[in-house]
Amino acid sequence: MDLQGYGIPDDLLYTKEHEWARQEGHAVKIGITDYAAKTLNDVVYVTTPKLGGKVQQFQTMGTVESIKAVSELYSPVSGTVTKVNSRLDMSPELVNKSPYGEGWLIEVEPADLESERKKLLDSKAYSAYLSTLLK
Amino acid sequence: MLKETQLHSYHAEHGKLTEFAGYEMPLWYTTTTEEHLAVRNGSGIFDVSHMGRLAVRGEASTAFVEGLVPTSVARQQPGKAFYTLLLNDRGGIIDDLIVARLGLQEYLLVVNAANAVRDLDHVKALAPAHGVEIEDLTPTSIMIAVQGPGAQRSLQGLADVDLAGLKRFRSSAAKVLGQPSLISRTGYTGEDGFEVIIHGPTVESPGEAVKVWEGLAATSVPCGLGARDSLRLEAGFPLHGTDIGEDTDPFQADLAWVLSSDKGAYVGSTAVSELRSHPPGAVRRGVVLDQGIPRHGFDVLEASGKVGTVTSGTFSPILKKGIALCRVETTGSEPGTEVSVVVRESPQPGHIVKPPFYDEDVYGWKSRGNGK
Repeated sequence: MDLQGYGIPDDLLYTKEHEWARQEGHAVKIGITDYAAKTLNDVVYVTTPKLGGKVQQFQTMGTVESIKAVSELYSPVSGTVTKVNSRLDMSPELVNKSPYGEGWLIEVEPADLESERKKLLDSKAYSAYLSTLLK
Repeated sequence: MLKETQLHSYHAEHGKLTEFAGYEMPLWYTTTTEEHLAVRNGSGIFDVSHMGRLAVRGEASTAFVEGLVPTSVARQQPGKAFYTLLLNDRGGIIDDLIVARLGLQEYLLVVNAANAVRDLDHVKALAPAHGVEIEDLTPTSIMIAVQGPGAQRSLQGLADVDLAGLKRFRSSAAKVLGQPSLISRTGYTGEDGFEVIIHGPTVESPGEAVKVWEGLAATSVPCGLGARDSLRLEAGFPLHGTDIGEDTDPFQADLAWVLSSDKGAYVGSTAVSELRSHPPGAVRRGVVLDQGIPRHGFDVLEASGKVGTVTSGTFSPILKKGIALCRVETTGSEPGTEVSVVVRESPQPGHIVKPPFYDEDVYGWKSRGNGK
């Protein structure tokens, strides 16, 4: 799906803070949406929780910064961090180049995905939400 | 309702817009990083038509401008431009500006957009009843900055004067695409470059303004306010209203070099003489962090505790590190001093530097033959 040039893949779940979550087996990969990346314009610095750290659904888990601004990251799910995208240390621009691919942020082992996923938006709901912001 | 410059239609079509100083201006066209690097390595253009342009003319103009700024005016030859300050009676900085002496009895003051109304009031209030005429040229001209090591080549194609012969901080009347203009070898990026004022275009009747911009855009990268801010910060230039203001004097601002001792009274001169005999308690400095990005308002710490505050910070695309201008206690403000900046509750180590932040052998106007 695509809304005014912003990519919104159908297979992801979204937050209203513009993070996405993708189930990959038992794990959940997390990143920021194309809209968030384009709004930041050029991501130059990313801070994420450490490996083994805990994240809570809708609680801050780090920051993404452009030259001009800082944006808080909110975790779409609760769980334990099992992977951190260390390529972002040297190449934070991957978040802009490939927000749903190489620019992913962390992977977590979810604590309670079945109940938490109900609080996330699917691509249709996120697209509808985004269209209200773009008016 | 936001004001627009004569080039607004171009910005609206090609850029991401933002509000600045009451104007709707381009924040970026592609990315701030790309635009920033284009200026350091090639050439970039900025619409700076929102900046205030005040002409001061008349037989009493030299004496009047002399009394307005702390830099010697009589010593400047026609064709010279210089950076200086407008001070209040307490020595606080009302604005920083470029003054160009265009003739024996003609000056141009280029002031910050955010202060343009205040500055015009200040200047008009001090003007004598006779012998000085003040005209606000802002609505009837555009101003484009062409900046970077490739700026001369980019602008030369449109200008009828030999730019190689125009030295840094000199200005010259010229025609740009046939339009009456003033070209000054000045800028706010640290690089070689020019600021071009083209007389005539108004918002209602922009005429050739867009053609000049598009002509330059053929050989220069259009840059928004994002890059303008990161470039000036990397060069160590203060932004009025953020890094300096009416509560900072020229000594605290690390701008005492603009003060001429060989001149008579000017607005603020009594306060400046007194301030000169007392070292400032706090002074403007640069800080480079090993990690993290310092932002406006963050605390600066030394072993003794809090010693200052970040006044503006960004990520330097050249250093690939967080950099900031800050106000720190004079004791312990020596370049090289180890400090930390509290970035979201986490102190990040760094050190004090005297800007510019980049290596002047590689970047900036001093690194190249042009304009020296």
